[in-house]
Amino acid sequence: MMFSRDFFTFLVAAALVLTGAGAVTLIALWIRDMIKGKVW
Amino acid sequence: MEHQSAVLPASYGWVLLAILSVIWILLGMYWGRRAKSVEGFMLAGRNVGLALGTATAMATWVTSNTTMLAPQFAYELGIWGMIAYSTAAFGLLLFAPLAKRIRALMPKGFTSGDFIRLRYGKSTWHLFLVISIFYGFTWLISMGMAGGILLNALAGIPYEVGMSVILLVCVVYTLFGGLFAVIGTDYIQSLIILIGIVIVGAGVLSYADFDTSYTHLVDERPMLISVMLPAAIMAIFNNLLFGVGEIFHSNVWWSRAFAMRRGVGKKAYLLAGFFWLPVPIAAGFIALTSGALGINVTSPDMVGPLVAANVLGKIGAMVVFVVAFASLASSVDSLLAATSDLITEDIYRKLINPKASQETLRKASAYIIVGLGLAAWLVCLPRVGTLATVLFFAGPMVGACIWPIATGLFWKKANTRGALWGMLSGSVVGLFAYFELGWYTASLIGAAVSMVVVLIATAVSRHEFDWRRLDEKHPELEGRVESR
Repeated sequence: MMFSRDFFTFLVAAALVLTGAGAVTLIALWIRDMIKGKVW
Repeated sequence: MEHQSAVLPASYGWVLLAILSVIWILLGMYWGRRAKSVEGFMLAGRNVGLALGTATAMATWVTSNTTMLAPQFAYELGIWGMIAYSTAAFGLLLFAPLAKRIRALMPKGFTSGDFIRLRYGKSTWHLFLVISIFYGFTWLISMGMAGGILLNALAGIPYEVGMSVILLVCVVYTLFGGLFAVIGTDYIQSLIILIGIVIVGAGVLSYADFDTSYTHLVDERPMLISVMLPAAIMAIFNNLLFGVGEIFHSNVWWSRAFAMRRGVGKKAYLLAGFFWLPVPIAAGFIALTSGALGINVTSPDMVGPLVAANVLGKIGAMVVFVVAFASLASSVDSLLAATSDLITEDIYRKLINPKASQETLRKASAYIIVGLGLAAWLVCLPRVGTLATVLFFAGPMVGACIWPIATGLFWKKANTRGALWGMLSGSVVGLFAYFELGWYTASLIGAAVSMVVVLIATAVSRHEFDWRRLDEKHPELEGRVESR
C-alpha cells in the first residue's frame, strides 16, 4: 500500500504554509511585545 | 562514495561567511550590553518575552541536522522518514507544562543540575552532571563538525576553516553577551531559517512537477512512499524519545525556562513545537523530487542543497548556505551558554568555590565558554566520526533521564532510589542495545528501562517530597539583578 499523490501533495503544501505562518507569527509576536514593552 | 562537488562558488561562500560572522558578532555584542550581572549573563534577566522565548526554543532545536539531514531522511526513508523527523517537535510540546512547573517551583533556579541536586541529592546529581555535560559536549562537537563539513560541501571552504569560524564566532558573541546575545541572535536566526526554507521549498514546488515526481517514485523507488516501511516506523519512536530525553534533561532548555518571564514558558514552548513540527517536511520533501529532476545524488547528505542549487541556481545555494549557518549558530551558541552555565553553577560554584562573588562567577563563566570552545575545536579538528553517530551515542543516556525528571517535577513520591537507578540502568541497558541491536532502539530501550525502575520505586515509596525545598535562595546574587 502506498501513500497517495494527493496525500503527498497535501503534506508538503501544509508543511510549507505552516512554516511560513511560523515566521509571520514570530514577527507579529515581536511587534506585540514591543508595543507592550515586554520584549526582554 | 563518490565526492559531491560544491554547489556554490568558493568566492560566494567566503563573502557570505564573512558577512554572517560580522553580523552575528555585532548583534551579539549589541544585545549583550544588557548582561551586567551574573543572572543577566546566565539567564537574560529572567524577563524574556513570548516572541524571543518562542524563537529561541524553535531556533535552537532547528540544528544543521534538521535542515540538512531532513532531506537525507526523506531520500532514504521516504515520507515516513520526514514524518519521523517531525516527531522531534514533541520534545518541545511536552516540555511546555514542565517549563511552567519549573518556573513556579524554582523562581530563583539557575540550572537543571540545581533541580536534580535539590530533588534527588548528591549521588543522582553527580551522575546527572556526567550525562548532561557529556551530552552537551557531544552535541557541541557534532555541531562544530557539521559546520566544517557543511561549509566545505556547500562552498568548498576548507573543513578546518569553516569549523573554526563557526565555533569562534559563537564563542565571541556568547562571551560578550551571554544568554542576552544568544536569545537575541536566535530570533533573527529563527526568521532566516523559516523564511529560507519556505523560499527554497516554494521554488522547488513551482519548478518540479509534482505528478512527475510522484510517478517517478512509484516506478523507481516505491518503498519511499510505502505506508509500511519498518525502519522508518522504528525511527519515529526512537526520534521521538531521543528528542524528549534531550529536551527534558538538557540545561539548554531549562535555562530558557528560567529566563522567560512568568507566564511565558508554557506558551513559548508550545508555539515553538508547532512552528518546528512542519520544518523537517518543508525542508525534506525536496529530496523526493531529485529523481524526477534527473539529479545525480552521490552523497545523500547533500541531496537538499543539490536540489536547491539545481532548481534555483546560485540564489538557491546561497539561501541554503545562510540557512545552514543560521541553524548551526543558533545551536552552537545555546550549547556554549547552557553548558558553561552548568559547569559554572554546578561544578565551580557548588563544588569548588561556594563563596564566589558575582565578578568571580562572571570571570569563571567566561573562561569556561572559551575553554569549551577550545576543547570542541581540538576534538573537531581531526574530523573523526560522522555527523550523527557521535550524538546518537548519548541517546540512551538522555532517554534514561526522561522519567526521573518528569516524575520529579510532578510526583511527591518520586524518590532518589528510583531516579538514580533509573538513570543508571536505563543508560547501561540502552547503551548495550545501541551496540547489540542498533542505534534506532537505544533511546527507546533506555527510556523504557528507566520508566519501569522509576515507577516501581515510586509505587513502593512512602516518602513525600516537600516542594518548598526546590526554592533555593541565592542572597549573594540577589538585589543586583537588572530585570525590569
